Amino acid sequence: MAENGTEDINKLDLIRTIGFNGNIPGGLKVHPNRQHVVYALGNTVIVEDITSHQQCFLSGHTNDVSCLTVSKSGNYLASGQVTHMGFKADVIIWDFEKRELYARLTLHKVKVESLAFSPKDKYLVTVGGQDDGSVVVWNIAKKEAICGSPAAVPSDGTTMCVTYANMCDETFITGGNGTLRKWKLDLSNRKIRPTDVRMGQLKRIVKCIEIDEADEFIYCGTTSGDILKVGVNTCIMAEYGPVKEKFSLGIMAIGLLKSEEIIVGAGDGTVALVRKTLKRKKISKVTGGVTSIALRGLGHQFFVGTSLAELYQCNLGEFTFDLVKTCHYSDVLDVTFPAGASQLFATCSKNDIRIWSTTTGAERLRITVPNLTCNGIDIMENGSSIVSAWDDGKIRAFYPESGKLMYVIHDAHNKGVTALATTSDCRRIVSGGSEGQLRIWDIHEKEQKLVTAMKEHKGKVACIRLRKTVAECVSASEDGTCIIWDLQNFLRKQVIFANTLFKCVCYHPEEFQIVTSGSDRKIGYWETFDGSQIRELDGAQSGAINGMDISSNGKNFVTGGDDKIIKLWGYNEGAVTHVGMGHSGSITRVKICPCLNYIVSVSADGAILIWRYPD
Amino acid sequence: MQANESIYNLISREEYRPPKDARYKSQFRSTVKMETTSNKASHKTMGPAKVKTDDPREFLKKRSKEPQHPPKSDFKYPDDDTRRPPVPTQEDKPLMGIKSTKNFITTNAVENIMSVPKKPAPNFADTKKGDTHPLDISGLVPKYIKKKDFGEVPDYLTRRKQEVMRAQEEYDAYVAEHYKRGAMQKLTEQERQLILNGLKKNWEAIHHQYQGLSVVTDTAPKKARKERMEAEMKQLERDIELLEKHMTIYIGN
Repeated sequence: MAENGTEDINKLDLIRTIGFNGNIPGGLKVHPNRQHVVYALGNTVIVEDITSHQQCFLSGHTNDVSCLTVSKSGNYLASGQVTHMGFKADVIIWDFEKRELYARLTLHKVKVESLAFSPKDKYLVTVGGQDDGSVVVWNIAKKEAICGSPAAVPSDGTTMCVTYANMCDETFITGGNGTLRKWKLDLSNRKIRPTDVRMGQLKRIVKCIEIDEADEFIYCGTTSGDILKVGVNTCIMAEYGPVKEKFSLGIMAIGLLKSEEIIVGAGDGTVALVRKTLKRKKISKVTGGVTSIALRGLGHQFFVGTSLAELYQCNLGEFTFDLVKTCHYSDVLDVTFPAGASQLFATCSKNDIRIWSTTTGAERLRITVPNLTCNGIDIMENGSSIVSAWDDGKIRAFYPESGKLMYVIHDAHNKGVTALATTSDCRRIVSGGSEGQLRIWDIHEKEQKLVTAMKEHKGKVACIRLRKTVAECVSASEDGTCIIWDLQNFLRKQVIFANTLFKCVCYHPEEFQIVTSGSDRKIGYWETFDGSQIRELDGAQSGAINGMDISSNGKNFVTGGDDKIIKLWGYNEGAVTHVGMGHSGSITRVKICPCLNYIVSVSADGAILIWRYPD
Repeated sequence: MQANESIYNLISREEYRPPKDARYKSQFRSTVKMETTSNKASHKTMGPAKVKTDDPREFLKKRSKEPQHPPKSDFKYPDDDTRRPPVPTQEDKPLMGIKSTKNFITTNAVENIMSVPKKPAPNFADTKKGDTHPLDISGLVPKYIKKKDFGEVPDYLTRRKQEVMRAQEEYDAYVAEHYKRGAMQKLTEQERQLILNGLKKNWEAIHHQYQGLSVVTDTAPKKARKERMEAEMKQLERDIELLEKHMTIYIGN
């Protein structure tokens, strides 16, 4: 991934990552030392200290992480990934102490569904996905496969989860669509032998399995919303429940306490404490479907991860949930700072706009508009409103403290608003849409009026930047043009053509030059006066450049794109001075804070990364 | 409220979660702990503790447990010590038998009759009911304009002004002196004439020699001599012209 010749280029200092992939079943684990949580974000595994929030990034996967586990002793982590159809998916074992890759195990096709360590760290068992359908046992010390076997009989469906016994290194259990099997490892013959659990007439899709301390019973959460209790030795189902009022949207995660009570997480966000008799004792609710429950120690405290990328901490006694961590759960599309302030920034994504504190990484405000995507966001220079561009063709403005709706401009662009900028006098909004129009709006307290529509672009407007004097603006479009507009007579001043989809454009602070970039990976410097090209740089070796921002002193600019690398350039030198590697999805936008302290980059995997701006 | 919202307010409102108070702990905890263990079954194995019993003569007496009050004392006013002694009564005997024959009643009456009545204080009345206030401080009577030096510049001001003027003059003089010391020297008319005459004399001398030169300048020394003389005369002419052109000349130091 790294560029050639980056050895002599400085690394950007990563301060903080705001991101959590909540969609992985069991994707949140607490390390047995009770001090760290482990979770995945895109293709990286993150180890985070619970108290100090210090993060460590384990990167080695080539695509999104699909499953994650921690060994009982805590020496190893293991993670599996997905790949493209027809390719092999890696399982990586990480050394926890050294925080480095211990072994890369490649055998499964397309996706690794689930994995589990044996209690004495001897073996790792992995289950492949739908296209693979096999169980493989690995020897950890030798870093090689011992044996493999089809996970289920062909008439049954896919296997989705695997759990190792707590005492015995030779027994593990797999479960999935209509299948629940106990496996015995025969090491001398290099074989694993399954025994199917007899469930009678019951048909269930098992999503998660937990086994009790003494290896007597296993508890399985099913998509039907009930728990199966199965004897390990007999392989016969002992009990299932609750019979009435099953958990809606299925049980996605289970946590087993020493008191034989069960913590159940359901797809509708219900977290319940269930008695030994499989009846509910306490119930609470969180937002998003619960995908993982991770007990800290014996379970007096536990963490709940949800599909809407929220992480809750709960004390068992009170059964109240504190939101510890939250982030966007789909691609973050824009990021912006308030004028002159570095302490806050706003990001937008599908369904919501959020305001974050740069220093603590805490969420300060969330504005939710269900089922719509916010393409662009800007904050009025006086800080009085947050203006946002939505894919339903409306421009919405919100109050910045209460998050309430201030006004809506209906039908601003008929195919969705894609870019937006506010003038420095806070009286006008310039918006661009998918259809290629640029529209200017007069903003008053009671009404918002269309001033004019400028129809020059033929494709989606990707980026709009205004001059400070409000007399001129520049818009970059994916039709391969970049237009400099006169905002007094509403005429085109200059047009720049290039064989690219322009993604981003910036005014140099002195406003005589603009910098553009796009899918051709070239960074172009242009004169605003006559539209002539001054310089052209190669911005990346692979992948389009999606985001660019120039520092307020005009000395540096920063770019980021599909190659997942942040690059800081000297403006006059035209050379990369710093690179930042850490994103696991393609970078959508980058911003430098007004006080030149931070660089914030957002990516398509929902992560927000805060970097220190180098001196 | 909403109209005044600003995103910058979110900055100052950094989230602060006050730390939880310490868990309640009774201050009698140690006592309770001690009592529950120490008072319980103290004579379980060894029988009741052997302690010295009281003497039967020191039995519990009536009211012996009531609080002991201090003895009663007479009431005294706080200013009893500073008060003057009471007026003597009729029965009191005069000190050392001294008696006065003065008739206080008549002397008082006579004194009052003979006394000159007191002048009423200068007052003014401001209501019809005759509420009076002192006239002196009211400002109704002209007081300050009757002062002797009213309307004149006070002495101290003129004095101060003079002092300031004197200081300024001294300062100016000092500055002028300072400048004079550092300034360039002026050439007097006499000196100028002297220099001018000298220069002219020199020129004439060289000119005289020049006129005496041979007509043909055929050798190099001759030519050099002639040229040197011409250069010298030219220089002198230039100097003379300079001195004649300017009437005042300063000499730089």
